[in-house]
Amino acid sequence: MFKSLLLKGRTLCLLLCCMVSSLVVTAQTKQTGKVIGSDDKLPIVGASIRIKGTNTGAVTDIDGNFTLSLSPGNVLVVSYIGFQTKEVPFKAAGPLTIELEPSNKTLNEVVVTGYQTQVKKDITGAVGVVDVTDAKKLPVTSSEQLLQGQVSGVTVINQGAPGSGSTVFIRGVSNFGNTTPLYVIDGVQGNNMSSVNPTDIESISVLKDAGSAAIYGVAGGNGVIVITTKKGKPGKTVISYDGYVGDQTPLSGNVWHLMTPAQQSTLTFEAGDTGGETLYPGGAGTLPTYGYHGTTAYGTFGSAGVTNDPGIVGGYHFDAANPNNDFLVQKFNQAGNDWFHDIFKNALQQSHTVTASGGTDHSTFLYSLQYLDQQGTLIETFEKRYQLRVNNTYSLFNNHFRFGENGYVYYRENNGGSAYNQQYEGGSISMTYREMPIIPTYDVSGVNYGGGYDGPSGEPLGNASNPVAMQQRSANNLNRTWNMQGTVFAEVDFLKYFTARTAFGGNAQNNFYYFSGFNTYENYESHTSPNSYDEASNYSFNYNYTNSISYKQTIGKHAISAFAGYEIKQTGGQQVGGYATNFVSLDPAYVSLAATTNPASISLTGGNGTFLYQPTGTESYFARADYAYADKYLIGATIRRDGYSEFYPGHQWGTFPSVSVGWRISQEDFMKGASWLQELKLRGSYGESGNNANIGGANSVNTYSSSFGATDYPISGSLNTVASGFAQSTIGNPKVSWETDKIFNVGLDVSVFNHLDFTAEYYRKQSDNLLFAQQIPSTAGAASAPFVNIGQVNNNGVDFSATYHDQIGSDFRYSVTANLSAYKNVIAAINQTQYLFSGSRVTQFVELKQGMPMGEFYGYKILGINQNTAQLNSTPNLSGSAVGSYIYQDTNHDGVVTPQDETAIGNPNPDFVYGVNLNASYKRFDFTMVLYGSQGNKDYNYIKWWTDVYNSFPGGKQLNLLTNSATVVNGQVTNPGATQEALSVSNNPSNSFYIENGSFLKCRLAQIGYTFDPNWLKAIGASKLHVYVQGTNLFTITKYTGPDPELVPSIQNTGNTGNQSSSFGVDWGAYPTNQRTYILGVNVSF
Amino acid sequence: MINKKTNFVMKKLNYKILALGSIILFTAGYSCKKILNSTPAGVLAGSTLANKAGVDGLLIGAYSLLDGYYQGQPGTNYGSGISNWTYGGVGADDAYKGSTTTDQGPDLPEIESHVNMNSNNIYIESKWQVSYAGVQRANNVIQEVPLVTDGSEAGAVGQNAIAEARFLRGVYHFELAKIWRNVPYVDETITYAAGNLNVPNPGPIWDKIEADFAFAMTVLPKTQSMAGRANYYAAEAFLAKAYLYDHKYAQALPLLTDCINNGVTASGAKYALEPFNNNFNAATKNGPESVFAAQMSVNDGSNGQNDDAGDVLNFPGGGTYTSCCGFNVPSYNLANSYKVDANGLPMFAIDPATGFPTYNDVNLINDHGIAAGAAFTPTTEAIDSRLDWTVGRRGIPYLDWGLCGGEPWTRGDLVPYTPKKNVFYEAAAASTTDNYGTWATNQGSANNYNIIRFADVILWRAECEVQTGALAAAEADVNLVRARAADPTGWVHTYIDVTKPQGGYTNTPAANYHVGLYSGQFTANGAAWAMAAVMCERQLEFGMEGQRFFDLQRQDGVTGGPLGAGYMAGVLNSYYKADNRIANPVLTSAKFVAGRDELYPIPNPEIQAENGKLTQNKGY
Repeated sequence: MFKSLLLKGRTLCLLLCCMVSSLVVTAQTKQTGKVIGSDDKLPIVGASIRIKGTNTGAVTDIDGNFTLSLSPGNVLVVSYIGFQTKEVPFKAAGPLTIELEPSNKTLNEVVVTGYQTQVKKDITGAVGVVDVTDAKKLPVTSSEQLLQGQVSGVTVINQGAPGSGSTVFIRGVSNFGNTTPLYVIDGVQGNNMSSVNPTDIESISVLKDAGSAAIYGVAGGNGVIVITTKKGKPGKTVISYDGYVGDQTPLSGNVWHLMTPAQQSTLTFEAGDTGGETLYPGGAGTLPTYGYHGTTAYGTFGSAGVTNDPGIVGGYHFDAANPNNDFLVQKFNQAGNDWFHDIFKNALQQSHTVTASGGTDHSTFLYSLQYLDQQGTLIETFEKRYQLRVNNTYSLFNNHFRFGENGYVYYRENNGGSAYNQQYEGGSISMTYREMPIIPTYDVSGVNYGGGYDGPSGEPLGNASNPVAMQQRSANNLNRTWNMQGTVFAEVDFLKYFTARTAFGGNAQNNFYYFSGFNTYENYESHTSPNSYDEASNYSFNYNYTNSISYKQTIGKHAISAFAGYEIKQTGGQQVGGYATNFVSLDPAYVSLAATTNPASISLTGGNGTFLYQPTGTESYFARADYAYADKYLIGATIRRDGYSEFYPGHQWGTFPSVSVGWRISQEDFMKGASWLQELKLRGSYGESGNNANIGGANSVNTYSSSFGATDYPISGSLNTVASGFAQSTIGNPKVSWETDKIFNVGLDVSVFNHLDFTAEYYRKQSDNLLFAQQIPSTAGAASAPFVNIGQVNNNGVDFSATYHDQIGSDFRYSVTANLSAYKNVIAAINQTQYLFSGSRVTQFVELKQGMPMGEFYGYKILGINQNTAQLNSTPNLSGSAVGSYIYQDTNHDGVVTPQDETAIGNPNPDFVYGVNLNASYKRFDFTMVLYGSQGNKDYNYIKWWTDVYNSFPGGKQLNLLTNSATVVNGQVTNPGATQEALSVSNNPSNSFYIENGSFLKCRLAQIGYTFDPNWLKAIGASKLHVYVQGTNLFTITKYTGPDPELVPSIQNTGNTGNQSSSFGVDWGAYPTNQRTYILGVNVSF
Repeated sequence: MINKKTNFVMKKLNYKILALGSIILFTAGYSCKKILNSTPAGVLAGSTLANKAGVDGLLIGAYSLLDGYYQGQPGTNYGSGISNWTYGGVGADDAYKGSTTTDQGPDLPEIESHVNMNSNNIYIESKWQVSYAGVQRANNVIQEVPLVTDGSEAGAVGQNAIAEARFLRGVYHFELAKIWRNVPYVDETITYAAGNLNVPNPGPIWDKIEADFAFAMTVLPKTQSMAGRANYYAAEAFLAKAYLYDHKYAQALPLLTDCINNGVTASGAKYALEPFNNNFNAATKNGPESVFAAQMSVNDGSNGQNDDAGDVLNFPGGGTYTSCCGFNVPSYNLANSYKVDANGLPMFAIDPATGFPTYNDVNLINDHGIAAGAAFTPTTEAIDSRLDWTVGRRGIPYLDWGLCGGEPWTRGDLVPYTPKKNVFYEAAAASTTDNYGTWATNQGSANNYNIIRFADVILWRAECEVQTGALAAAEADVNLVRARAADPTGWVHTYIDVTKPQGGYTNTPAANYHVGLYSGQFTANGAAWAMAAVMCERQLEFGMEGQRFFDLQRQDGVTGGPLGAGYMAGVLNSYYKADNRIANPVLTSAKFVAGRDELYPIPNPEIQAENGKLTQNKGY
C-alpha cells in the first residue's frame, strides 16, 4: 500500500541514476515485463530492474511494467524497498511477470509519525505500530479496541456498553486528570478515534516517547496516536464489501452468586434481623405469597402475606394519575427472580461496509459507506451508526502539486444512557443484585393488564429499583449525533528538495439528546414523583490549521531532512438544555418540553445542561531535523513552541525540545558477516512534552456566577419565588501553566534469522508540574480552588514486543506476536494526600499519596476475625468490635485500632499487561487467535458491600453468607457478614475484604477463515472472497469473583475531572466486557 | 508522493512553485493574536459586579447559604443544614438518627453515639465548609462595596450592605462556634490572593462575633423592605445570644429586654408569641415570633435547591405520608419529657432511685412492637400540649395527613415516633413542597427554620435572670412561654372526620393536655433548680429544632466560661441508659465523654489544609 510513497529522498536519486544509465545501453531484444507483489498480486510501482553485472536497468511504471533490452542469459536483479531482492534469469522473449516476496516488514515499513512518515529502520524514537492487517481481524465497534493487546505500552480498557469508547493510556497513568492520548486522524487533532470505521483505517502508529511525540508539544504529553485512512490506488476501480453479523451472549449462570429467597429467609432469622423477619411471618425458610403496598399499609406485611388472601388481591388498585391512591399487590417470586438475565439478553451486532476505490496517475478516490448496528445485551441499549467517507487526492504539474481531502461524516444514534447503567451503584446493572430476588418483575396485574412493574414496597424489601423497569423506561431515551471530520490539504514541491504543505483539518459536531423520567410508583423511596423530560442540544468544534515546509536531501553518505511548521488550533462549543415535569405522555412521538402540563416546571437544566465550552486557542511553531550518516548513525531533534490561551498572559508560551539518536549496529562492517542478523539497532531519546488537558479556561481569574440552587434566596419570604444572587464560583490563579512530561527512552530493535523481530524499550517518564486543584482550607469559602502546578508522577517501565514468523512446507505459515508492558508508577509529589470516594458506602477507599502508586486502595488490613470474647478483649480492635468482627491491623502499633491505622491495601496498577496474537494459514484456511491479559492488578469489589454484607441494605445476598457465616455453628467464625452486631465496624470502613486479585487472561477472539480460489471467483466476477467465523471472549481466566475483572473508570467520578484517571479498578457494577460473541463475516472484492 | 519523472520538468516549474510556496508561507506567517485571548466564557468577572446590582446580588448570595446548603456543595447536605438536626438533636437526647441501623453510616451513627467520632466525619466537614462559604460570601460583599465607583453604593446604601454582610458573617461564625467553639475567624482580609488562608483557632471568637453584630445593630434599620432581611432587632437578639454563649449575662440582659419591649420583625410586626405551630407551617412563616429565619422556598425553578435541604431525610419512613426516609426520629426521652405532674408542670427532677429525670422512669405509653393492624389507644396521661406539635405518635392527628400510624410509619422500628415540626400540610403540598433535587418526592419543604424565634429571646432572658439572681423575673418569663402552651386554641385537636383529615378539626383536644404555670417555685427552690426548669422549658419548647445539644453545652460552661464538671455528660449518659431499655444498635455503645464530646472534632481535611495552623479540639 505504501509502494508509491516510498519513492522519495535518496531512493529517488538512486532510481534516477538507474534511469539515466538505462538510456546509454545498446538496444538488444526489447522485452516488456511486469513486477507484482507476491502477497497481493498488485503491481509494484518504481521497482528497480538491473541486469546483473552491468549498470543497465529500468524502473517499473505506474502499472508495474518495465521495458528493457535483454539478451538470453542475462540475469535480472529486481529490487524494491520492502521486498526481498530477487534474481531472475532471462530465458526467452515473451511476457514476463516477476513476483517479489515482501521482505522483513518491520524494518522497511513506512511509519506515519508526527506530521511526517519515516521508514522504520530510520526511526530513533519509540513508535509502536499496530499491524492493521492483523488488528482488523477484530470486528470492533469502537476503533480504540484495535489497540488492545496489540502495542506494547498501550493500555486499553474497553467498555461493554454499545457505543461507549474505551479508556486508553500510554505508558502508565501519568497525571491526576486527563490521560487520554492525542489522536491525530489524517492530520486532525482530537481526543478520540472511536468513530472511525475500522475498515477505513490504513495505519495506526503510537508515539510513545518524547523523540517521537514532542513535536506535538503541549498536546503530546499523554502520547500520540496517529491514524491514517486508506486512499484509492491508481488502476482499476475496486469495489469491496466487508461485513459481519454476530450474536452477543450475556454472561451465564448465577452472575452475582446470589442465594434463593428461601435461603435468604433462613439467613434473616440466623442473623436475628427482627425487621427483616417481618417479611417471613411463617418463620425461617418460609416465604410469603403476597405482599402489598398502598396508602394505608405501605411497606407492611401482615399475616395476609403468608397465603393467598383474596381480600388483598381484590383490593388491587393502580392509579397512574395519582400514585397516592395506589394499592399494589405483588405475588412474590418464591423461586427467585434472576434480575441479571431479566435485563441481559442475546443481542445482534452487525456491520456492513462497502468501499469503492481507484484512480489514475493524477487522482485517486476512495468512498466507503458503513452501517453499524450494535444492540446491547443490556436491553434497550444500542448503537447505530451510518458513516460515509470520501478520500480524494489530485496532482498537477507532473505530481509536483498535490491536493485533496480526507473526510467523513456520520450520523449516530444510541440511547444515550448507556454510561449511566454501569459502574454506578444506582445503575440498572447494580440493581440486578440490589433488588431482592423475591420481588417479581411485575405486580399481580402486570404491565399488560393495566398494572405495572413491581418493586420493593417497604423496608424489609429494601430500597432498590426494578432494573427491568429502569431499562424499559430508558427505551424512550435517544441521543442523536451528526459529526463531520476531515482535512483538506495542498502541497507543492519546489527547489528540488523542498515541499510546502498547507492543511486545514477539523471536526464539527451537533448533538441532540432527550431522556425521560417516569413516575416510579413501584419504588419505595420515590413513589409519587411526577414524570419528567429533559432535552438538550449542543454543538462543538475543533480545528487545526497547519502550514509546513519540509526538506530532504542526500549528499553522499549524508542523509538530511528537516521540517518546520506553524499551526493554530481552536476549540469551542455550546449547549442548551431544558427540563420539565408532568407530561400526559412520554411517547417520543409526542413529547417535547412544551408538552408539559405544568409549564412552571420548565427550567433550563443546570450543571452540565446549559453551558459554554471554554473556548481554547493554541498557536504553535515547530521543527524537526534528522540526519543519518551511512544509514548507520542516526540523530534527530525536534522543538516546538506552543502558546495556549487558557493560561494567563506571561504563562502561555512553552518550549518543548527533544533529541534522539540511533545506531544501526548491524550496518557496521564488523557485523557484515553475521548473515543471521538482519537488524540490530540501539536507540535513545530524551525530551519534553506537555499536557494542557487538565485546566479550564477560567482558572486564572476570579469568576462569579448565579444559579437557583447555589446563590438564589427567597429573601422576600415568598414560598415560591427567589431573588437572584451572585457568588464567587472560582478563585483565580494567574501563575498556572502546563504540565511537563520529561521522557527518557532507550530501545533495541533486533531482527534475526529472517524470522524473529524483537523490540525492547526502557523508559522513564517524569510528569512534573501536574495540575491539581489546590487544597485550600474552607476559610477560602466555597469558590473552587484554582489548579496549581504541584504534582509529580513517575512512570518507569519496559515494553517488549516480539514476532516470530515462519512456514512449514509451502502450505503452512504461521506467526506469533507477543508484547508485554510493565511499568512502575509512583506519585513523587502531591500537595497533600488525597482520598477519593469519601461519599461511598465504605467511605474513602482510594488514596493518592506521595510515594504510593496512582489509585492505591486504602483501608484497614484484615488480620482475622474475633473468634470469641477472650480474643476480642485481648486484641487491639476498632471501638465497637464484637465477636465476629474483623480484626484490623494496628498499623501504628499504638495498641488501639483507629482510623490512623488505615493503610494501603491494594494496587490497581498491574505488574504487567500482555497480548499474544497467533496467526496461521494452511492452504486457503487461515486461523487467528488473540489473547490479552493483565497480571498483578488488584480490583476493589465494591459490589460485595451490597451482596456480601448482610446488613447493608436488603437486597440480593451471596450464598456465602449462609453457608460460610459467623452465625453457623461450625467452630470457626469465618465470615462476619451475617452478624448484626459486628456490622458497623466490620463492613462499613473500607478494608481488605473488598480487595481481590484482578489478574486475568482473556481470549479476545479466535477466528477461522477461508479464502476462495481466485480462479473460481472469476466466474462470479470477484477478485477476492474471504469468509470467517469468529468467537470473541471465548474464555476469561481469572480469580476475580465479580463478572469481569477488566474495569473502566466509574461514572461515580467522571464528573470529578480532577480525579478522572487516578482511580480505576473499582467495580461498582460494570457492564461486562467479556461477553461471548459469535460472528460470521465476509470480505469480498470485485 | 514524489513520482519518478519529476526532475525533467522541475526547473520550469520552479517559479510557479515558489509563488505557491510563498503564499503558503505568507499564510503561515499570519499572526493570530486573538487565538490566545484568554477571556473565559460564560462567567462573571469581579469587575462586572462593581455596581449596585452586583452588590445586591452578592448580598443575596450571602443570604442564600442560611439554609445551610448550596447546589453542588461537597459532602452531605444532611450534615450542613441550618436546623443542625444532626449535631443539635441526634447528637443530644432529642432524636435518633432513624432509618436502618447502618443507613448514613458510619458518619451519622458516630454523631449519635459519640463513639468513634472522628475528624474525618463527612458531616462535620460539610457543616464547616458551608459555614465558611457563608462567611466568605459575606466578605465578598464587604470587599465589593468600595470597588463600586458609580456612586450607587455611596453612603448609607453601602453601609447598609456592609452591615447586613457583617450580620450574616456573625451568623455563620456563630454556627461554627456552637459546634466547634475554637474556630478561625475569617474577615474580609482573608483571601486566596493575600495568601493568608491558614487562619489559626487559638480559642473562642465570641468577641469578634459580638463586634460584627454590634456593628450591624448600629447601622441596620428597624424595618426592612423584605421579610428575610436582617434588621436592627435581629442583630440585637444575635448580639445578646453571643453574650449569652459568652456567659456575659449582664450584657445580654438589657438587649433582650429591649427586644422584648420594643422589638419588631423586619416587616414591622411587634414581636409576639403566636400559636405554637405557626412557627412550623410554611403558610404562616415570618410571623411576629420570627426574629430571624432561614427562608425556604419551593417550586421556584430550582428543583428543590432552596428548601430545607438539610432535612430532606427527616420525614416518616412509611405510611400515608410519603415513602422516604425515616430519619431524625424523636427519642423516647424527648417524648417522655412532655409528661406533666398534677399541676401541669414538667417532671425534670432527677429521681434518685433511677438516676433518670422522673419523666424518664417509665416510657410514655407508645405502640412500640404493636403491629400495624392491631388496636392501640394513645396514652390518656396528662401531657404538655407541645408534644403533639413536636412528635408524631400513633393515633394523634398528624397535621392533615390523618392519624399518625406510629411505628409502622418509622423505618428502623426502634421507636414509634416521627418528626413533625419540619413536615408540610398535605393540602398545601403543591405550594409548600418540592422534589428535592428531583430525587425524593415531596421531601423538600418551604417551612422556614427560625434561627431565633421570640420564645428564644424570652427564655434567654429567663436564663440571664437566673444567672443574675432575678429568679422571680425568670419564672415570669418562663410562664410567658408556658402560657402560650397552655392556651387550648393552640393545641392539636381531633379531626371532624377521621377519614377526611383535611376536612378540619373539632375543638376537642387530641390528648389529655395540661400545661400549668409556675407559681413561685423558682424562688423557693433556688437558682440551680430554676436553671433546670429553664433548661427543661427549652427542651420542651425547642424539641426537634436542633438546639438541645447547644443548650446543654452552654449550660455545661464549656463554650465560653469555665469547663463544666460533666453536666452535659451526665444528662446524655443517663439518656443512653434510659433509652437503651429498648435495644438500640446505635445507642447501645453510646458514651459521652466529659471534656471532649461537648465540642465536635475539627474536620481533619481542614487541619491538613491549614498546614498546622489549626489545632484539634481537646480529646480528638
